[in-house]
Amino acid sequence: MTAHERIVAEAERIKALGEASESVAPYPVNQPTIGAWLDAMGYDSERFRHGEAPPSMAQVWTMPGLGRKRPPEDPLTRMTEFLTDAGYTAVLGTNCEQTYERYLRVGEHPRVTSALDSVVGPKQTAMGEGYFVTSRNTWYVGDEVVATMLFRVLKFIPRAGG
Amino acid sequence: MNDRMKPGDTLPGWSLPLTPTTIVSTAIATRDWQDVHHDRDVAQAAGSKDIFMNILTSNGLVERYVVDALGPDTELKGIAIRLGAPAYPYDTLTFRGEVTSVEDGIATISVVGSVSLGDHVTGTVRVVALPAVEVRAPASLETPGADA
Repeated sequence: MTAHERIVAEAERIKALGEASESVAPYPVNQPTIGAWLDAMGYDSERFRHGEAPPSMAQVWTMPGLGRKRPPEDPLTRMTEFLTDAGYTAVLGTNCEQTYERYLRVGEHPRVTSALDSVVGPKQTAMGEGYFVTSRNTWYVGDEVVATMLFRVLKFIPRAGG
Repeated sequence: MNDRMKPGDTLPGWSLPLTPTTIVSTAIATRDWQDVHHDRDVAQAAGSKDIFMNILTSNGLVERYVVDALGPDTELKGIAIRLGAPAYPYDTLTFRGEVTSVEDGIATISVVGSVSLGDHVTGTVRVVALPAVEVRAPASLETPGADA
């Protein structure tokens, strides 16, 4: 198998696993975290000071936290590590597409699943040769989907010096 | 102001001067602890000019820009962004936006946030296009008509 064939095979294997990993938010949706976020963004809104969460915070709730890692079975982590080992060592976030089914509220405890959506390449880009890796996250409260995200990174071979 | 949105409407521009505090406080507030967003030495060792804005913050500022322009009752259905030039401290992030379509009760707004190096973020925000008669549900997230 060529390097490209191995990458395609690994991508197909991980894609077939579907929503292969899940992370529960370390803390429920809470007012102090919303307040700190509003202050940092310089954004103010009565509704978000009183129980609703800004929709683009969906991803914030399930960020792993300082010194913590995503689960090892996370499909995006697996695919990017495979590409790193194949020489595509650098990474750059390129696209983020979120949808909001409804706004979260203080006290709700979301969880997120992760699946590999696609791997496209190799492409010659301004950064160098690379593969575009797209993952699909789905946030749930109980069994209800509340938000989704397609997230794309470019894994590339950095151009040598200058 | 958004009860009569139509394609071609432009949103007022907005410029945000970026300081190290902007970059660091938003990274931490989005619970993104990657060191390139708060440690200049690490960022520079990785080939970057300085610390730079994280993606969750680019998303959050796009949300703020659209909601500040259209009003606090604006209901967002989605934000789709493409990332471009990095946003560094001491630069200015300047937003512009335009309504590109209003279909099936959803208005799509194209948004560009640019810095001195070029476009930092380009994308679209989908919001509920308010009907002529505004319905306000202050504390409840009950979907109007869901029980009809």
